Amino acid sequence: MSTLHLDVYMPVVILIALALLVAGGSLFLGSLIRPHNPNKLKETAYECGEEPVGTAWTNFNIRFYVIALIFIIFDVESALMFPVAAVFKKFNEIGLGGTLLMSILTFVSVLLAGIVYCWKKGDLDWVKSYTQSTSTTPTYGKKD
Amino acid sequence: MNNSTVVSYFSQSNEFIHVHAWLSKALGFDATSLMAFVIFAVIALIIVGAMATIGGLGTYAERKISADLQARMGPNRVGPFGLLQFLADGVKMIMKEDIITTNADKFTFNLAPVLCMVGVFATLAVVPYSSGFILADLNVGIFYLVGMASLVGVGVFLGGYASNSKWSMLGGMRGASQIISYEIPATISIIAIVLLAGGLSMKTLVGAQGGLPHEWFLFHNPFAFMAFFVYFIAGLAETNRAPFDLPEAESELVSGYHTEYSGMKFGLFALAEYIEIFVVCGVAVALFLGGYKVPFDLGSGAMLVEKLGLDSMLSQNIGQLLELGAFVSKTLVLYYVVIWVRWTLPRLRVDQLMTLCWKYLTPIALFNLIGCAVWMYAFNGKSIFTLIFSAAASGHGGH
Amino acid sequence: MFSNTLFLLSAVLTVAGALMVVYTKNLMHACIYLLASFFGIAGLYACLGADFLAATQLVVYAGGVIILMLFAIMLTGGTGNKVNRYGLEKIPAMGNKKTYFTAGFTAIVSALILVKITMSAMSGNPAVANLTNEPTVERLGTILATDHILAFEISSVLLLGALVGAAVISRPRKEIHD
Repeated sequence: MSTLHLDVYMPVVILIALALLVAGGSLFLGSLIRPHNPNKLKETAYECGEEPVGTAWTNFNIRFYVIALIFIIFDVESALMFPVAAVFKKFNEIGLGGTLLMSILTFVSVLLAGIVYCWKKGDLDWVKSYTQSTSTTPTYGKKD
Repeated sequence: MNNSTVVSYFSQSNEFIHVHAWLSKALGFDATSLMAFVIFAVIALIIVGAMATIGGLGTYAERKISADLQARMGPNRVGPFGLLQFLADGVKMIMKEDIITTNADKFTFNLAPVLCMVGVFATLAVVPYSSGFILADLNVGIFYLVGMASLVGVGVFLGGYASNSKWSMLGGMRGASQIISYEIPATISIIAIVLLAGGLSMKTLVGAQGGLPHEWFLFHNPFAFMAFFVYFIAGLAETNRAPFDLPEAESELVSGYHTEYSGMKFGLFALAEYIEIFVVCGVAVALFLGGYKVPFDLGSGAMLVEKLGLDSMLSQNIGQLLELGAFVSKTLVLYYVVIWVRWTLPRLRVDQLMTLCWKYLTPIALFNLIGCAVWMYAFNGKSIFTLIFSAAASGHGGH
Repeated sequence: MFSNTLFLLSAVLTVAGALMVVYTKNLMHACIYLLASFFGIAGLYACLGADFLAATQLVVYAGGVIILMLFAIMLTGGTGNKVNRYGLEKIPAMGNKKTYFTAGFTAIVSALILVKITMSAMSGNPAVANLTNEPTVERLGTILATDHILAFEISSVLLLGALVGAAVISRPRKEIHD
């Protein structure tokens, strides 16, 4: 066996297995004792007592997608920042803190520039379609 | 054994060495891995059991505290002070009929609550309960926690999608976008603390702080102080707690992403949510409020050996218990604040939610990150109290 | 012993997830299987001692890309009629002798290339045996902060470009009839 100790990951696997076990076990136990009397009305989707109209799987607003896109960009940014932030203290102790500080400043300010750009252009506004659209019927609040 | 976890803590004791030697002889191979597995499994079971209890008591505390804030009684029938209410609720949930709507996507419908559970339970592995009582002290601890917690967002979205009900779908979309949006300020605040501590593992992060409040990262510098509030607000939003409970806003979305869920599947969602609040509070405590550290180095037990002449293993155990108590009590105080906030602040609108995240919290978090870096460089990593004390000392010296 | 278990679990999760992505006809289910596959890949990274890479896999792919894909599916209205509307069998050019021949040939060539690449790893790569548990975060950070500082800085410009691009393409276009 190599010097690599993978035993640290053991609790992770055990906990995931336990989560599956707890969820599956409680559902299985319940299936033994819980009643099962399905009827057609009971199994319709809840729409405040009305008959459900159509499916809920419809086109959603693009703003959710944009948020996910911006999220991924910041996610990657944080993934890059973590290792550099982790060594900052060590670098500071041996006197290289200034150089690293400059590079972190550059990195963050480039990203801040991106946020400022999106902010100025109104991409961070949630109800932008209401204020920018010139059509008579506002699309505001159509699907959010 | 170079990992500093429960196993390495137990392996200091004589019993462990005896059992290890005996097992290795009986089985004919090195039993370290096997024993580690058994210990991990037992401890994981204990933690999961404790967390399920904390989650259950969380629902009780929520109802009792909200009753208190509204001058009501709250649950008081089952057991003393209604303490066993959560057990009664659990039994009720298991015995409830499990309804799956005809239009639902059955596979996803069943999977969504399980995904939430897996995401939350996996984060429990790196929560530092005390210096010896931590399941896995991964080198990437806090980053791993961020990754696993994002699984809850997928679970919430899939729960909303699978129900094929309009309320659920809207709740699921809102929930997922809210969780991922607020992950950004939370992560950047965490990076600011990583910068101060110089490491990603939970031990490093907690170890860089001290037992007394002036040694906490919360009071290390003004930027870290702000980062705590950014993290806490983002944590509230990530757990779908009020005032950010839009995914389950009962006045507009009935019950949000779990409208169609009944019985134990709903129970799993609720359990995952209440445990996640504990984890978020625990991380806030570990990062900003000194974690498991107790004052005067009582945690290592060295003082007890010196002053009272106790056995070293016994005093170490007492130290661990003290640390566990410190961590859990700080976390529960934050837990109380989370419940308190729910009955104090009104719910945000969706556009206010996104404005708060992208126009306020994220720029503030980035500013805090830069501020922490500059502080580290300018004052050579000293905290504000160290600077004040040293200034006062030099001032006295001048007289 | 546990290393083998972890590797087997991750490998099975990766391969089974990837296979199910291909075989399932429901787009949403394919996304869930892809999530399982990403988890398996994170486990494989962990097996190789690349703990930071494993966590990055979790944060960026399992947490971010999957949500992006789910939102993209919702952008197109979900899986309304549950099956792939543009399934392979519906495209007339697919399923004849020519396509099978091309697919077979491509499969053989790529398999040969794969064998060529993995051959060195199969024959007991000593580099794997020398893996240690030393934290990869610090090594990565040191490298990023010293030798590869330019790459670190340029990546921020790349991210800026992605951010601006995402904002620009998602902007509501001016309506033509206006």
